[in-house]
Amino acid sequence: MDIFAGVAQGFQTAFQPLNFLYCFVGVFIGTLIGVLPGIGPVGTIAILLPVTFGISPVSAIIMLSGIFYGAQYGGATTSILVNIPGEAASVVTCLDGYQMARQGRAGPALGIAAFGSLIGGTFSTIALMFLVFPLAKAALKFSSPEYFSIICMSMTILIYLVKGSFAKAAIMILMGLFLSTVGVDLLSSKQRFTFGFPFLFDGIGMVPMAMGLLGISEILMNLEESIDRVIYKAKIKNLLPSLQEWKRSIGPIWRGSLIGFFIGIMPGPGAVVSTFVSYSVEKKISKHPEEFGKGAIEGVAGPETANNAAVGGAYVPLMAMGIPQSAVTGLLLGALMIHGVTPGPLLISQHPQIFWGVIASMYIGNVMLLLLNLPLIGIWVKLLEVPYRILMPLILLCCLIGAYSINYSVADVIIMTIFGITGYILRKFDYEVAPMILAYILGPLMERSFRQSLMMSDGKFSIFIERPISAVALGIAVLLLLSSGFSFYRKAKTKLLQ
Amino acid sequence: MKKNDNIFFVFWIVLSLFIMFFSNEYSLGSFHNPGPGLMPFLLGLFLFIISFCLSLRSLFKKGRDDKKVAEITKEERSRINISKISLVLASLFFYGLFLERLGYLIVTLLTMIILFWGVGLKRWSSILVASCLTVLITYFLFTYLGVRFPPGILRFLGIG
Repeated sequence: MDIFAGVAQGFQTAFQPLNFLYCFVGVFIGTLIGVLPGIGPVGTIAILLPVTFGISPVSAIIMLSGIFYGAQYGGATTSILVNIPGEAASVVTCLDGYQMARQGRAGPALGIAAFGSLIGGTFSTIALMFLVFPLAKAALKFSSPEYFSIICMSMTILIYLVKGSFAKAAIMILMGLFLSTVGVDLLSSKQRFTFGFPFLFDGIGMVPMAMGLLGISEILMNLEESIDRVIYKAKIKNLLPSLQEWKRSIGPIWRGSLIGFFIGIMPGPGAVVSTFVSYSVEKKISKHPEEFGKGAIEGVAGPETANNAAVGGAYVPLMAMGIPQSAVTGLLLGALMIHGVTPGPLLISQHPQIFWGVIASMYIGNVMLLLLNLPLIGIWVKLLEVPYRILMPLILLCCLIGAYSINYSVADVIIMTIFGITGYILRKFDYEVAPMILAYILGPLMERSFRQSLMMSDGKFSIFIERPISAVALGIAVLLLLSSGFSFYRKAKTKLLQ
Repeated sequence: MKKNDNIFFVFWIVLSLFIMFFSNEYSLGSFHNPGPGLMPFLLGLFLFIISFCLSLRSLFKKGRDDKKVAEITKEERSRINISKISLVLASLFFYGLFLERLGYLIVTLLTMIILFWGVGLKRWSSILVASCLTVLITYFLFTYLGVRFPPGILRFLGIG
C-alpha cells in the first residue's frame, strides 16, 4: 500500500462517526487536563485505559492519542494566563507567555501557541508517516539479540535523561523489570513471586499499577500544596498574531518542529526536554536575547511547537518497532496489547486501519484543537476557577471505577491503592516513577529476547556483539554508562579531596 | 541526599537479597538454557550492587550533610498534610474492602462524603448534594458504557 492510499484509508477510518467522536473526546479531555494543573496526560491515559476496553482498538488509540497531544495544547493556556504550567511540557512557556499576558498581549501569545502547535503537530505527523516505513522495514530483520540490545540502550538513555539521580533512575528501571517477572513464566509455565495469591498468577495488572503510581500518587502530591491561582482577568483580544509577530515566530516554529520531532523519537520525556532545548536554541540565536523572559514571542512559539512535534516523534519507535520510549507511549502499547494488537514492524501490514486511522486522526485532532483552543478560550479560563477540592474526589472516583472495571475485582482497587502509596513515597524521595512503568511494560519482551538470544547462541554472550545493530545499540548503552560512572567518580573524588 | 534515603538503600538491599533468594528457588538454568529464575536473579544482583554502592557513598557523606538534611526534613514535614493524605488513603482502602459487600451506590456515596468533607467543602448540604449527584451521574454514565457495578446489600432492589 502506498502512502497516499494509506492516508486515504486513514481518513476514511478517522471520519467514521464513532472514531470522529472519540477523536473529539480525546482532544477535549487532553485540553481539559492540560488546562487544569494537577494531573498530566500519563495519569489521565492510565485512568481512562479501562474505559477503552469496550471499544474498538482503532477508536481506543485515536482517543488516547488525542489526550496525549491535546494536553500539549491545553498546557499553554495556564502557563500564559496563570503562570502555572498545566503540565510539565509547558513550564518553559510560563517564562515569556505570562510576561506577554501581563503586557496585555495574552491574545497573540495564546494564538501563536495554538498555531505553532498546529504546525508542529502536523509536521511531526507527516514526518512520522515517512520515517516509520524505512524503520519498520529495517526492524523486520531484527531478531532477539537486536531487540534486547535496543531495549537496553533505550533504558540507559532513559536513565541518562531523567531528572535527578542516575542511580535512583536505574533502581526504578530494575524495579519495573522485576515487577514484570511476577506471574506465570511464559517459556516454562512456572509461577514466579506469586506466593500462592491467585490475583498474581497473570502478573501485576498494568492498569492498576500505572493508575496507582501515576494517578493516585499525583493526587496525593497535589494534596500537599494549595495552588494559588491569579488568573489574567482582562478580556483576551487579538488572538490572531500580527504580521510582525508572525515574522518573528516563523523561524522558531520550524526549528521547534524539527527539534521536537527528533527529541520525541529519543527515550524519555521528549515533549518536556524538547521545550527546554527549543527555548535555549532560540535564545542563543536571537538578535535580542535580552528580551527573553520579558515577553519575547519566540519564547512561546518555539517551545509550544516543539512539545507538539515531540508527540509525533514518540510514535516512530512505537509504531515501527513496538518499543515505546516514554511512559505515555508505553501505556499506548499496553492499550494496543489489551486489544490483541502487537505493535511492531508488522503493524502497518497487519493492522493498516489502526496505523493510518491514528495518523489521519492526528491531522483532524490538531485542527479540532485549534478550534477548541482559540474561539473557546473563555470556557477554558472559566474552568481554571473550579477549585481542586471539587476536582480531586471526582478524579479519585474515576480511578476507583477504572481499576474495578478491568476484571471486576476489588483486588485491583487494592493493588492500585498500594501502588499509589508506593508512588507517593518514591516521589517524595526523588525517585521518578515513569521509568518504572516503561520498564515494566518492556520487561517481558526484554526477558524473552534475552533468553531466546542465549538459546540461539548456545549460551554465548558474544551473540550480542556479533550482530552489527545489536553491537551498536549495546555500545551506545555502555558508553553512556561509562560516561555517567566517570562523572560520578570525578565528583566523589573531588568531594573526598575537599 | 535526604536522611531517609539511607532507609531506602537498606530496603533495596534487603529486597535484592529477597529477589535473588527466590529466583534461585525458581531454577536459574544455564546460559545454554536459561531458567525462569535467571532474569530476576540478574535484576536482583544489579539492584544489590547499585544500592550497596549508594549506601556506602551515603556513609561517607553522612557527617557533612547531617545539619542540612535535618533542616530539609523539618521543613518538609511541616508542609505535608498528613491528615488529608491519610483520609484519602483510608477512603480508598475502605472502597476496595466494602465495594462488593455494600454495593456501588452505598460505598461510593460514603466515600464521596468523606472525600468532599476531607478536602475542604464546609457546608453539609453542599457535601451531600455533590456526593449524591456524583454517585448518580457516574452510576448511569458507567452503566451506559457497559460497566457492571456490584449491587451489594441493595441486591433485593434489583440494582447493580
